[in-house]
Amino acid sequence: MNNVVSTSGLTKHFGRIKAVNNLTLTIPEKSVFGILGPNGSGKTTTLGMLLDVINPTSGSYTWFGHPPDKKNLQNIGSILETPSFYPYLSAADNLKIIAEIKNCGYDHLDESLKITGIYDRRYSAFRTFSLGMKQRLALAATLLSNPLVLILDEPTNGLDLRGIAEIRGIIRIIAEEGKTIILASHLLDEVQKVCTHFAVLNKGMLMHTGPVNEAHEEQYLEIAADDMGALIKVLEKFPQQYHVENKGDFILVTLPGKILISEVSRYVFERGLAVNHLVLQKKSLETQFLEILKGEA
Amino acid sequence: MNRLFKIEVLKIRSNATFWILTSMHIGIILLVILSGKLFLKSISLGDAFEKIIDPSVIPIYQFPDIWHNITYVAAYLKFILAVFVIISITNEITYNTLRQNIMNGMSRMDFIISKLFLIFILSFGSAFFLFLSGLIIGMVSTPDLQIHDLIKYSGFIPAYFLVLMAYLIFAMLIGLLIKRTGLAMGLMFLYTIIIEPIVVLRIEIGWIKGLFPLKAINNLIHMPFGKYALREVQDYVALQDIAIVLIYTLIFIYFTYLLLRKRDL
Repeated sequence: MNNVVSTSGLTKHFGRIKAVNNLTLTIPEKSVFGILGPNGSGKTTTLGMLLDVINPTSGSYTWFGHPPDKKNLQNIGSILETPSFYPYLSAADNLKIIAEIKNCGYDHLDESLKITGIYDRRYSAFRTFSLGMKQRLALAATLLSNPLVLILDEPTNGLDLRGIAEIRGIIRIIAEEGKTIILASHLLDEVQKVCTHFAVLNKGMLMHTGPVNEAHEEQYLEIAADDMGALIKVLEKFPQQYHVENKGDFILVTLPGKILISEVSRYVFERGLAVNHLVLQKKSLETQFLEILKGEA
Repeated sequence: MNRLFKIEVLKIRSNATFWILTSMHIGIILLVILSGKLFLKSISLGDAFEKIIDPSVIPIYQFPDIWHNITYVAAYLKFILAVFVIISITNEITYNTLRQNIMNGMSRMDFIISKLFLIFILSFGSAFFLFLSGLIIGMVSTPDLQIHDLIKYSGFIPAYFLVLMAYLIFAMLIGLLIKRTGLAMGLMFLYTIIIEPIVVLRIEIGWIKGLFPLKAINNLIHMPFGKYALREVQDYVALQDIAIVLIYTLIFIYFTYLLLRKRDL
């Protein structure tokens, strides 16, 4: 698999603040790549550098293996922070300007407006739009040139639940077309729901990067019996056992790879214990994310 | 190229501020030009000079003088267009659309060229309007219409165009430098009306005065009215003045590019 973006030692200092510090990151083709991090962790600065609007202090990056060039940017649809349009112009005129900049014609104009559900309001001035509609227009703008790569910075920021669900739906549809999507977010849930890969930034440093599925592999088993003392003794002798922790109400078993619940319950039962609580928990990205951040502190 | 022109046209086409300011510019030009006769009448009262020459019969509207007169007067009204150029630039910054344009794949030089198209549209439009006004007023006012009189001094129209181009490019640089609309306009006028004139006034050596940017721009069209008091005036556009203005224009554009290149958007 080829890399869409590859950065090498990318660094940006604003005065004494190291907004992005020695970031080396690759983003594989056709991935939905989440960039996670708390506010102020350097997500937007990183994307700003990749989009040629922030000058790196040092380091370099490539798009599709080539040094940055305006042709690349014409083939990338991007939103950074807030939707930015000419307030006195209609949605359609705003999109026409972008189509001219991207040199892509007006072929996808109507389609983009329809996908994002603002076709009916295309002749209204941008300033009359609600925040949700502004976000939709921004998303429509990214689709105009039918780009290979989309960069979305907090695309669901400030939307209501329905708006969030719809925008995520649109992102999934776009991803299915084989486009690479780079999604910056401080919402873990968002990344977990739509991303295939993710990176965690904190204070400008890369804390972790990898596929999202991997993060799902660690699983926990919550298990309890009437006689907890006997249960813990039995579990400690379980052949594939990795880690056992007494949580009071239940015992937490961590196992690498897949846990077969039936196997555990049979094992316990065969040793004369009746289980009264048995729940399989996937370790969520949020837990991992917090652990990653804690590890750094 | 054509694309960049189209982008700028799309940006101004339904921009109310553009239409208001350009109509104002044209309206005021017309008002000022047409009130010339009234002005002459008002100064003709009870003057001793009147016995030799009555100011109200001075042929300000006749070919060939009209070209020099109207371009000189209209050049004072370039500030209205400068206001629009500053608004256009600072709005691109406050709306974040400059950044979005670059992210969408417009190079920094493309952005400058598109703004130069805007400046061209404003300057050409104003010069063309002035040309038409001069042509009509001149034809009506000149008793003995001669084609060579009509053509003589018409070179002041392209000179007027150059004055506008240079001044508006200066406005673009100021707008980009200051970023805030009000502040940029304030600085622009402070510099135009107070700072540079005072500095120029304090300088003794004539040729150095002409090297200040706004003085150099204004030098393209010298004050014509002295000739009606039988004083000698420069009634042509000097090549060296054109050269100085062109050099300034290039410097302004270069600094604009440098600012855009170095700054985080």
